[in-house]
Amino acid sequence: MSFLPAPLEPVRPGLLREVAPVTRLVVAVAWLAAAFVGVDPRVPAVLLMAAVVSLATLSGLPLRASVRRLAPLVLAAAGLALLTLVLHPTRTDPAAIVVVELGPLRITAAAASAALALALRLALIAVASLLVFGPSDPTTFADSLVQQWRVPDRFAYGTLAALRIAPYLAADWSSTRAVRRLRGIEARGPVGSLRVAGARLVALLVSAVRRGERMALAMDARGFDAGRRRTHFRPIRLGVRDAVVLAAGWAVAVVALVAGAWG
Amino acid sequence: MNASPSPVSTPAIPAGSLARWRTVDIVVVAVVAVAFGVVFWAWNYVWAVLDPVFAAFRPAQYLISGVWLMPAVVAPLIVRRPGAAVFAEIVAASVSALLGSVWGLDVILSGLAQGLGAEIVFAVFLYRAWSLPVAALAGAGAAVGMAVHDFPVYYPPSAGYDMGFYVPVAVAMLTSGVIVAGVGGHVLVRALARTGVLRGFPSGA
Repeated sequence: MSFLPAPLEPVRPGLLREVAPVTRLVVAVAWLAAAFVGVDPRVPAVLLMAAVVSLATLSGLPLRASVRRLAPLVLAAAGLALLTLVLHPTRTDPAAIVVVELGPLRITAAAASAALALALRLALIAVASLLVFGPSDPTTFADSLVQQWRVPDRFAYGTLAALRIAPYLAADWSSTRAVRRLRGIEARGPVGSLRVAGARLVALLVSAVRRGERMALAMDARGFDAGRRRTHFRPIRLGVRDAVVLAAGWAVAVVALVAGAWG
Repeated sequence: MNASPSPVSTPAIPAGSLARWRTVDIVVVAVVAVAFGVVFWAWNYVWAVLDPVFAAFRPAQYLISGVWLMPAVVAPLIVRRPGAAVFAEIVAASVSALLGSVWGLDVILSGLAQGLGAEIVFAVFLYRAWSLPVAALAGAGAAVGMAVHDFPVYYPPSAGYDMGFYVPVAVAMLTSGVIVAGVGGHVLVRALARTGVLRGFPSGA
């Protein structure tokens, strides 16, 4: 029915499943910040190692499925790294240390280091994303955002309700193409395909707005906007585990930055 | 907190800009953003397939980047509420993050930057102007947000990128932001209004 992939779900117990989602988010953002502050490739290397180890041992996510999820990123990271390797400004600098020289291709040590750092950083983004979003479902995430970060509950749960119809919208998007094909409407040339894409987008958005209006009506009928202060059905409390994950996460970030400074 | 079943007596939602959002505003913006998130999921394949083709000349690739900026213009034009641009971009980005997109976290950061870029434009007009030129400006604002995020993250100066790269890419982003997201978004909302589906909103009245 849908071209959307099934969400990655944890299959084993793990420490990261037992902390509040915002705890994981805070640590991941700290790691990304450290990776972008540190220019030396050692910084993202240390963080990426910690992230991969956490993914394997603490997240409870199935390893093989996680690797499959990460595979496209390896391609993208390799592409960006290659670009840096070849186009780095030191390629024309006669004083730069050269690692490889093949005809017009001149790869300097500085370029190699920058390319490695960029690739490691992008890989870190991907693994950290899995660590943040993988171990718990969107509902728990919304609960945590509302309870720990005081995100307005109507926005958090309204979004959660909307997310639930993503598969239907994906089906709508596919069916707009099927209908067009059935009617024999074919895109001709770039202008034609642009027009067809626009028409499909309008059809999709009409369906989205209708579904949204119907859902809002149903939600209001059940008192969603009653104007009362909400209590929490699934309380999430920060505990010792959150403190441990937070402290360990910050420690790893500091170690990574120190390792980079030594380089 | 105590869940006492008292009658409705405490209007606890404070009077403020966010409280003026009705349920239907929240849900429709969220659903429209999810719809864009779904389109992005398909669009990401296009982008990935074109990636090697465009690697030689990056600015050309960014001529189609405006598609990602559309929710930041379309959602505010529909509901006309403060915060709609940021809210829509974050939700659209979250869809791919929750589906396990390889960029996940970073997509949310970039969504935030793009949404803020458009939001600032609508705020400058005090959330009172929704014309084509304002939509085009908002598209440009979102493109600025995109540059503010993408340049340091994907093309940092430390990796050897300089003005010879940044200027043409920024021009391509702005062009695409104005034409695809700004003008395209405005045309899209007008087409939606013509179907009658926006009757419950200021944009369809």
